[in-house]
Amino acid sequence: MYGEIGNKLVQHAKRTQALPHLPPYQTEMVRAATREVRDLDKDVAAILEPFAGSFNPSSEPATACSLLVNHLCMRRNKRCLLAYHRVRADKLEEMCWSGIDVLERQQQQQTSKNIGDGTTSMAGEGVNSSSLSPEEEEYVRQYSDLLAAYKGQWTDIDLTGSLEPPKDLFIDVRVLKDAGEIQTEYGAITLSKNSQFFVRQGDVERLIAQGYLQRLS
Amino acid sequence: MDIDDLLAEVTADAVPQETRDLQELTRCWVAERVAPELLVWPESLMERVLARVRSQIELVEEQTGNMDPKTNFKLIIIQTELERFKFLVRSFLRTRIAKIDTHPLHTLHLHTSQPTLLSPSELSYLTAHHALLSNHYASSFLSQFPASLQKLDDTTGGISMIDSPDEHKAVFVRCLRDVGVVRVDGTEREFEMRRGDVWVVRWSAVRQWVVGGDCELI
Repeated sequence: MYGEIGNKLVQHAKRTQALPHLPPYQTEMVRAATREVRDLDKDVAAILEPFAGSFNPSSEPATACSLLVNHLCMRRNKRCLLAYHRVRADKLEEMCWSGIDVLERQQQQQTSKNIGDGTTSMAGEGVNSSSLSPEEEEYVRQYSDLLAAYKGQWTDIDLTGSLEPPKDLFIDVRVLKDAGEIQTEYGAITLSKNSQFFVRQGDVERLIAQGYLQRLS
Repeated sequence: MDIDDLLAEVTADAVPQETRDLQELTRCWVAERVAPELLVWPESLMERVLARVRSQIELVEEQTGNMDPKTNFKLIIIQTELERFKFLVRSFLRTRIAKIDTHPLHTLHLHTSQPTLLSPSELSYLTAHHALLSNHYASSFLSQFPASLQKLDDTTGGISMIDSPDEHKAVFVRCLRDVGVVRVDGTEREFEMRRGDVWVVRWSAVRQWVVGGDCELI
Protein backbone atom coordinates (compact mmCIF):
# COMPACT_ATOMS: atom_id res chain seq x y z
CA MET A 1 0.00 0.00 0.00
CA TYR A 2 1.20 3.50 -0.76
CA GLY A 3 2.76 5.29 2.16
CA GLU A 4 2.75 2.34 4.51
CA ILE A 5 6.52 2.34 4.88
CA GLY A 6 6.50 6.08 5.46
CA ASN A 7 4.02 5.59 8.24
CA LYS A 8 6.21 2.95 9.85
CA LEU A 9 9.19 5.26 9.68
CA VAL A 10 7.28 8.02 11.42
CA GLN A 11 6.19 5.61 14.13
CA HIS A 12 9.82 4.67 14.58
CA ALA A 13 10.76 8.30 14.86
CA LYS A 14 8.03 8.88 17.42
CA ARG A 15 9.30 5.99 19.50
CA THR A 16 12.88 7.22 19.18
CA GLN A 17 11.92 10.53 20.77
CA ALA A 18 10.98 8.81 24.02
CA LEU A 19 13.96 6.47 24.16
CA PRO A 20 17.13 7.31 26.07
CA HIS A 21 19.34 5.70 23.42
CA LEU A 22 19.26 5.60 19.66
CA PRO A 23 17.67 2.47 18.14
CA PRO A 24 19.30 0.93 15.04
CA TYR A 25 18.97 2.80 11.77
CA GLN A 26 16.23 1.32 9.58
CA THR A 27 18.27 0.99 6.41
CA GLU A 28 15.79 -1.35 4.76
CA MET A 29 12.78 0.87 5.35
CA VAL A 30 14.55 4.01 4.20
CA ARG A 31 15.58 2.21 1.05
CA ALA A 32 12.07 0.86 0.47
CA ALA A 33 10.50 4.29 0.92
CA THR A 34 12.99 5.80 -1.51
CA ARG A 35 12.30 3.04 -3.98
CA GLU A 36 8.57 3.68 -3.69
CA VAL A 37 9.13 7.31 -4.57
CA ARG A 38 11.18 6.37 -7.61
CA ASP A 39 8.55 3.87 -8.77
CA LEU A 40 5.80 6.41 -8.34
CA ASP A 41 7.81 8.91 -10.31
CA LYS A 42 8.17 6.36 -13.11
CA ASP A 43 4.42 5.75 -12.99
CA VAL A 44 3.76 9.44 -13.33
CA ALA A 45 6.09 9.65 -16.31
CA ALA A 46 4.40 6.62 -17.88
CA ILE A 47 0.92 8.07 -17.39
CA LEU A 48 1.94 11.40 -18.86
CA GLU A 49 3.82 9.92 -21.81
CA PRO A 50 0.90 9.40 -24.27
CA PHE A 51 -0.19 13.01 -23.76
CA ALA A 52 3.18 14.36 -24.94
CA GLY A 53 3.13 17.43 -22.74
CA SER A 54 -0.39 18.56 -23.64
CA PHE A 55 -2.23 17.09 -20.66
CA ASN A 56 -5.46 18.82 -19.72
CA PRO A 57 -6.69 17.82 -16.24
CA SER A 58 -10.30 18.89 -16.80
CA SER A 59 -10.79 16.67 -19.86
CA GLU A 60 -9.36 13.56 -18.12
CA PRO A 61 -10.46 13.73 -14.50
CA ALA A 62 -9.62 10.07 -13.77
CA THR A 63 -6.01 10.35 -14.95
CA ALA A 64 -5.64 13.68 -13.20
CA CYS A 65 -6.81 12.09 -9.98
CA SER A 66 -4.33 9.21 -10.13
CA LEU A 67 -1.55 11.68 -10.90
CA LEU A 68 -2.51 13.74 -7.90
CA VAL A 69 -2.52 10.70 -5.63
CA ASN A 70 0.91 9.69 -6.93
CA HIS A 71 2.27 13.18 -6.36
CA LEU A 72 0.89 13.40 -2.86
CA CYS A 73 2.30 9.99 -1.97
CA MET A 74 5.75 11.03 -3.13
CA ARG A 75 5.60 14.21 -1.10
CA ARG A 76 4.35 12.35 1.91
CA ASN A 77 7.15 9.82 1.71
CA LYS A 78 9.62 12.65 1.47
CA ARG A 79 8.19 14.27 4.58
CA CYS A 80 8.27 10.98 6.47
CA LEU A 81 11.89 10.38 5.51
CA LEU A 82 12.87 13.92 6.44
CA ALA A 83 11.11 13.64 9.77
CA TYR A 84 12.75 10.31 10.54
CA HIS A 85 16.22 11.60 9.79
CA ARG A 86 15.66 14.88 11.57
CA VAL A 87 14.54 13.19 14.78
CA ARG A 88 17.63 11.01 14.76
CA ALA A 89 19.91 13.92 13.93
CA ASP A 90 18.38 15.95 16.78
CA LYS A 91 19.00 13.08 19.13
CA LEU A 92 22.62 12.85 18.04
CA GLU A 93 23.08 16.60 18.42
CA GLU A 94 21.65 16.43 21.91
CA MET A 95 24.24 13.80 22.77
CA CYS A 96 26.99 16.00 21.35
CA TRP A 97 25.83 18.89 23.53
CA SER A 98 25.71 16.83 26.68
CA GLY A 99 29.28 15.69 26.08
CA ILE A 100 28.63 12.06 25.23
CA ASP A 101 31.06 10.74 22.67
CA VAL A 102 28.58 8.96 20.42
CA LEU A 103 31.10 7.27 18.17
CA GLU A 104 33.17 5.96 21.03
CA ARG A 105 30.09 4.58 22.70
CA GLN A 106 29.12 2.84 19.47
CA GLN A 107 32.46 1.09 19.40
CA GLN A 108 32.16 0.10 23.03
CA GLN A 109 28.73 -1.38 22.41
CA GLN A 110 30.05 -3.34 19.51
CA THR A 111 33.03 -4.74 21.36
CA SER A 112 30.97 -5.64 24.41
CA LYS A 113 28.50 -7.41 22.18
CA ASN A 114 31.33 -9.26 20.52
CA ILE A 115 32.64 -10.41 23.87
CA GLY A 116 29.16 -11.42 25.00
CA ASP A 117 28.56 -13.39 21.85
CA GLY A 118 31.89 -15.12 22.25
CA THR A 119 32.44 -17.73 19.61
CA THR A 120 29.13 -17.14 17.87
CA SER A 121 30.20 -13.66 16.77
CA MET A 122 31.07 -14.97 13.33
CA ALA A 123 27.48 -15.89 12.65
CA GLY A 124 26.05 -12.76 14.26
CA GLU A 125 28.12 -10.33 12.22
CA GLY A 126 25.05 -8.60 10.81
CA VAL A 127 23.50 -8.10 14.24
CA ASN A 128 26.60 -6.39 15.54
CA SER A 129 26.46 -3.56 13.05
CA SER A 130 26.32 -0.06 14.46
CA SER A 131 22.95 1.50 15.26
CA LEU A 132 24.07 4.53 13.25
CA SER A 133 24.14 4.63 9.50
CA PRO A 134 27.51 5.54 7.95
CA GLU A 135 26.01 8.89 6.95
CA GLU A 136 24.97 9.54 10.52
CA GLU A 137 28.44 8.73 11.80
CA GLU A 138 29.84 11.25 9.38
CA TYR A 139 27.23 13.75 10.48
CA VAL A 140 28.09 13.33 14.15
CA ARG A 141 31.77 13.78 13.39
CA GLN A 142 31.17 17.00 11.51
CA TYR A 143 28.65 18.32 13.98
CA SER A 144 31.03 17.85 16.91
CA ASP A 145 33.62 19.83 14.98
CA LEU A 146 31.08 22.57 14.34
CA LEU A 147 30.02 22.59 17.96
CA ALA A 148 33.63 22.75 19.12
CA ALA A 149 34.23 25.68 16.78
CA TYR A 150 31.20 27.56 18.07
CA LYS A 151 32.05 26.78 21.67
CA GLY A 152 35.61 27.95 21.10
CA GLN A 153 34.33 31.49 20.69
CA TRP A 154 32.82 31.44 24.17
CA THR A 155 35.64 29.96 26.22
CA ASP A 156 34.86 32.14 29.24
CA ILE A 157 31.28 30.95 29.41
CA ASP A 158 31.61 27.19 28.81
CA LEU A 159 28.52 26.73 26.67
CA THR A 160 28.01 23.05 27.44
CA GLY A 161 28.02 23.72 31.16
CA SER A 162 25.10 23.15 33.45
CA LEU A 163 21.79 24.79 32.59
CA GLU A 164 20.68 24.72 36.21
CA PRO A 165 21.01 28.10 37.90
CA PRO A 166 24.05 27.93 40.19
CA LYS A 167 23.29 28.14 43.90
CA ASP A 168 26.59 27.37 45.57
CA LEU A 169 30.12 27.98 44.48
CA PHE A 170 31.32 24.87 46.29
CA ILE A 171 29.59 21.52 46.36
CA ASP A 172 30.03 18.13 47.99
CA VAL A 173 30.83 15.34 45.58
CA ARG A 174 31.48 11.66 45.92
CA VAL A 175 33.80 9.86 43.52
CA LEU A 176 32.15 6.93 41.76
CA LYS A 177 35.01 5.96 39.47
CA ASP A 178 38.72 6.67 39.67
CA ALA A 179 39.29 9.84 37.73
CA GLY A 180 42.94 10.52 38.38
CA GLU A 181 44.29 13.87 39.42
CA ILE A 182 42.67 17.19 38.61
CA GLN A 183 44.11 20.67 38.91
CA THR A 184 42.16 23.29 40.79
CA GLU A 185 43.22 26.71 41.91
CA TYR A 186 43.64 25.33 45.43
CA GLY A 187 46.08 22.71 44.26
CA ALA A 188 45.76 19.24 42.81
CA ILE A 189 43.20 16.75 44.05
CA THR A 190 43.45 13.02 43.46
CA LEU A 191 40.02 11.60 42.82
CA SER A 192 40.05 8.01 43.99
CA LYS A 193 36.96 5.89 44.21
CA ASN A 194 34.57 6.30 47.17
CA SER A 195 36.29 9.41 48.51
CA GLN A 196 34.37 12.59 49.16
CA PHE A 197 35.37 16.17 48.39
CA PHE A 198 34.20 19.71 48.87
CA VAL A 199 35.16 21.37 45.59
CA ARG A 200 34.32 24.27 43.31
CA GLN A 201 31.41 23.35 41.07
CA GLY A 202 33.00 24.80 37.94
CA ASP A 203 36.03 22.56 38.35
CA VAL A 204 34.14 19.28 38.44
CA GLU A 205 31.08 19.94 36.27
CA ARG A 206 32.43 17.94 33.36
CA LEU A 207 33.28 14.99 35.58
CA ILE A 208 29.78 14.94 37.01
CA ALA A 209 28.31 14.94 33.51
CA GLN A 210 30.60 12.09 32.51
CA GLY A 211 29.54 10.04 35.52
CA TYR A 212 32.81 10.03 37.44
CA LEU A 213 31.44 12.04 40.31
CA GLN A 214 28.11 12.22 42.05
CA ARG A 215 26.80 15.40 43.54
CA LEU A 216 25.65 15.14 47.15
CA SER A 217 22.89 17.45 48.19
CA MET B 1 6.12 63.29 29.20
CA ASP B 2 4.78 63.61 32.72
CA ILE B 3 6.29 63.59 36.18
CA ASP B 4 6.53 59.78 36.29
CA ASP B 5 8.72 59.70 33.22
CA LEU B 6 10.95 62.41 34.61
CA LEU B 7 11.32 60.54 37.87
CA ALA B 8 12.04 57.33 36.02
CA GLU B 9 14.83 59.00 34.09
CA VAL B 10 16.42 60.45 37.20
CA THR B 11 16.45 57.11 38.98
CA ALA B 12 17.80 55.35 35.91
CA ASP B 13 20.80 57.68 35.83
CA ALA B 14 21.49 57.12 39.50
CA VAL B 15 21.91 53.40 38.98
CA PRO B 16 25.41 52.48 37.75
CA GLN B 17 25.91 51.06 34.28
CA GLU B 18 26.88 47.63 35.67
CA THR B 19 23.60 47.18 37.49
CA ARG B 20 21.64 48.34 34.49
CA ASP B 21 23.51 45.88 32.30
CA LEU B 22 22.64 43.07 34.65
CA GLN B 23 19.00 44.13 34.56
CA GLU B 24 19.09 44.33 30.81
CA LEU B 25 20.78 40.94 30.47
CA THR B 26 18.22 39.34 32.75
CA ARG B 27 15.44 40.98 30.77
CA CYS B 28 16.93 39.78 27.47
CA TRP B 29 17.29 36.29 28.88
CA VAL B 30 13.70 36.10 30.11
CA ALA B 31 12.38 37.58 26.89
CA GLU B 32 14.37 35.20 24.73
CA ARG B 33 13.13 32.23 26.71
CA VAL B 34 9.50 33.33 26.55
CA ALA B 35 9.14 34.83 23.09
CA PRO B 36 8.18 32.33 20.40
CA GLU B 37 10.54 33.82 17.82
CA LEU B 38 14.19 34.81 17.82
CA LEU B 39 14.88 38.34 19.09
CA VAL B 40 17.55 40.72 17.89
CA TRP B 41 21.09 40.02 19.12
CA PRO B 42 22.00 42.61 21.81
CA GLU B 43 25.44 43.39 20.41
CA SER B 44 26.70 46.19 22.66
CA LEU B 45 25.24 44.71 25.83
CA MET B 46 26.89 41.37 25.21
CA GLU B 47 30.21 43.04 24.49
CA ARG B 48 30.09 44.91 27.80
CA VAL B 49 29.04 41.85 29.77
CA LEU B 50 31.69 39.62 28.23
CA ALA B 51 34.41 42.21 28.79
CA ARG B 52 33.43 42.41 32.43
CA VAL B 53 33.34 38.64 32.83
CA ARG B 54 36.83 38.50 31.35
CA SER B 55 38.20 41.18 33.67
CA GLN B 56 36.68 39.46 36.71
CA ILE B 57 38.24 36.15 35.72
CA GLU B 58 41.60 37.89 35.43
CA LEU B 59 41.11 39.47 38.83
CA VAL B 60 40.31 36.10 40.37
CA GLU B 61 43.35 34.50 38.75
CA GLU B 62 45.59 37.31 39.93
CA GLN B 63 44.52 37.14 43.55
CA THR B 64 44.24 33.39 43.99
CA GLY B 65 47.69 33.08 45.52
CA ASN B 66 46.76 35.59 48.19
CA MET B 67 46.15 33.78 51.45
CA ASP B 68 44.76 36.74 53.38
CA PRO B 69 41.32 35.58 54.66
CA LYS B 70 39.75 38.90 53.73
CA THR B 71 40.67 38.73 50.04
CA ASN B 72 39.82 35.07 50.05
CA PHE B 73 36.30 35.86 51.16
CA LYS B 74 36.02 38.63 48.61
CA LEU B 75 37.16 36.23 45.92
CA ILE B 76 34.44 33.76 46.82
CA ILE B 77 31.84 36.46 46.40
CA ILE B 78 33.30 37.51 43.07
CA GLN B 79 33.38 33.93 41.87
CA THR B 80 29.80 33.30 42.91
CA GLU B 81 28.74 36.38 41.01
CA LEU B 82 30.82 35.26 38.07
CA GLU B 83 29.15 31.85 38.02
CA ARG B 84 25.75 33.50 38.00
CA PHE B 85 26.70 35.79 35.14
CA LYS B 86 28.09 32.87 33.21
CA PHE B 87 24.90 30.95 33.76
CA LEU B 88 22.80 33.83 32.42
CA VAL B 89 24.91 34.22 29.30
CA ARG B 90 25.11 30.47 28.75
CA SER B 91 21.40 29.92 29.09
CA PHE B 92 20.72 32.92 26.85
CA LEU B 93 23.02 31.63 24.11
CA ARG B 94 21.70 28.10 24.35
CA THR B 95 18.11 29.31 24.04
CA ARG B 96 19.01 31.21 20.90
CA ILE B 97 20.82 28.22 19.42
CA ALA B 98 17.83 26.00 20.18
CA LYS B 99 15.54 28.43 18.35
CA ILE B 100 17.94 28.73 15.43
CA ASP B 101 18.10 24.96 15.14
CA THR B 102 14.33 24.53 15.18
CA HIS B 103 13.72 26.97 12.33
CA PRO B 104 16.97 27.17 10.37
CA LEU B 105 15.64 28.28 6.99
CA HIS B 106 13.11 30.69 8.45
CA THR B 107 15.84 32.31 10.54
CA LEU B 108 18.17 32.51 7.58
CA HIS B 109 15.52 34.28 5.49
CA LEU B 110 14.78 36.71 8.30
CA HIS B 111 18.45 37.44 8.77
CA THR B 112 18.88 38.54 5.16
CA SER B 113 16.24 41.22 5.61
CA GLN B 114 17.31 42.08 9.16
CA PRO B 115 21.09 41.70 9.47
CA THR B 116 21.23 42.52 13.20
CA LEU B 117 19.15 39.47 14.13
CA LEU B 118 22.08 37.09 14.56
CA SER B 119 25.58 37.57 15.85
CA PRO B 120 28.31 36.73 13.31
CA SER B 121 29.20 33.51 15.09
CA GLU B 122 25.56 32.46 15.24
CA LEU B 123 25.23 33.11 11.53
CA SER B 124 28.24 30.97 10.73
CA TYR B 125 26.92 28.24 13.03
CA LEU B 126 23.53 28.37 11.33
CA THR B 127 24.89 28.20 7.79
CA ALA B 128 27.36 25.45 8.66
CA HIS B 129 24.74 23.43 10.49
CA HIS B 130 22.21 23.78 7.73
CA ALA B 131 24.77 22.72 5.13
CA LEU B 132 25.57 19.69 7.28
CA LEU B 133 21.93 18.71 7.61
CA SER B 134 21.17 19.05 3.91
CA ASN B 135 24.27 17.03 3.11
CA HIS B 136 23.14 14.39 5.54
CA TYR B 137 19.67 14.21 3.98
CA ALA B 138 21.12 14.13 0.51
CA SER B 139 23.55 11.33 1.20
CA SER B 140 20.98 9.33 3.18
CA PHE B 141 18.13 9.34 0.70
CA LEU B 142 17.36 12.62 -1.00
CA SER B 143 19.92 12.26 -3.79
CA GLN B 144 17.98 9.27 -5.11
CA PHE B 145 14.76 11.23 -5.38
CA PRO B 146 13.49 12.68 -8.64
CA ALA B 147 15.10 16.08 -9.20
CA SER B 148 11.84 17.97 -8.74
CA LEU B 149 11.49 16.61 -5.20
CA GLN B 150 14.99 17.25 -3.95
CA LYS B 151 14.45 20.76 -2.66
CA LEU B 152 14.29 21.49 1.05
CA ASP B 153 12.53 24.84 0.72
CA ASP B 154 9.80 23.80 -1.67
CA THR B 155 6.67 25.95 -1.52
CA THR B 156 4.65 24.40 -4.37
CA GLY B 157 1.43 22.59 -3.70
CA GLY B 158 0.21 25.20 -1.24
CA ILE B 159 2.35 23.99 1.67
CA SER B 160 5.66 25.60 2.43
CA MET B 161 8.38 23.30 3.65
CA ILE B 162 9.84 26.06 5.76
CA ASP B 163 8.62 25.87 9.31
CA SER B 164 8.17 29.13 11.13
CA PRO B 165 7.48 29.78 14.81
CA ASP B 166 3.94 30.28 16.04
CA GLU B 167 3.60 34.03 16.33
CA HIS B 168 0.19 33.81 17.93
CA LYS B 169 1.44 32.05 21.02
CA ALA B 170 0.25 33.63 24.24
CA VAL B 171 2.84 35.45 26.33
CA PHE B 172 2.79 37.27 29.65
CA VAL B 173 3.77 40.92 29.40
CA ARG B 174 4.24 43.64 31.94
CA CYS B 175 3.69 47.17 30.78
CA LEU B 176 6.56 49.56 31.61
CA ARG B 177 5.09 52.67 30.02
CA ASP B 178 1.56 53.62 28.99
CA VAL B 179 1.00 52.07 25.59
CA GLY B 180 -2.62 52.93 24.91
CA VAL B 181 -5.15 50.80 23.09
CA VAL B 182 -3.92 47.48 21.74
CA ARG B 183 -5.87 45.63 19.08
CA VAL B 184 -5.51 41.90 18.62
CA ASP B 185 -5.46 41.10 14.91
CA GLY B 186 -8.12 38.75 13.64
CA THR B 187 -10.33 39.21 16.68
CA GLU B 188 -12.64 41.92 17.95
CA ARG B 189 -10.63 42.31 21.12
CA GLU B 190 -9.31 45.68 22.16
CA PHE B 191 -7.86 46.72 25.47
CA GLU B 192 -5.88 49.49 27.01
CA MET B 193 -2.44 48.82 28.45
CA ARG B 194 -1.32 51.07 31.26
CA ARG B 195 1.93 51.22 33.09
CA GLY B 196 2.28 48.37 35.60
CA ASP B 197 -0.40 46.21 33.97
CA VAL B 198 0.21 42.54 33.39
CA TRP B 199 -1.53 40.89 30.45
CA VAL B 200 -1.65 37.55 28.71
CA VAL B 201 -1.72 38.38 25.02
CA ARG B 202 -0.77 36.97 21.69
CA TRP B 203 2.87 37.63 20.93
CA SER B 204 1.99 39.09 17.52
CA ALA B 205 -0.21 41.75 19.15
CA VAL B 206 2.40 43.14 21.54
CA ARG B 207 5.62 42.41 19.69
CA GLN B 208 6.24 46.01 18.60
CA TRP B 209 6.10 47.32 22.18
CA VAL B 210 8.28 44.60 23.58
CA VAL B 211 10.90 45.26 20.93
CA GLY B 212 10.59 49.00 21.56
CA GLY B 213 11.09 48.48 25.28
CA ASP B 214 7.65 49.73 26.40
CA CYS B 215 6.71 46.28 27.68
CA GLU B 216 8.70 43.40 29.08
CA LEU B 217 8.01 39.70 28.86
CA ILE B 218 7.75 37.83 32.11
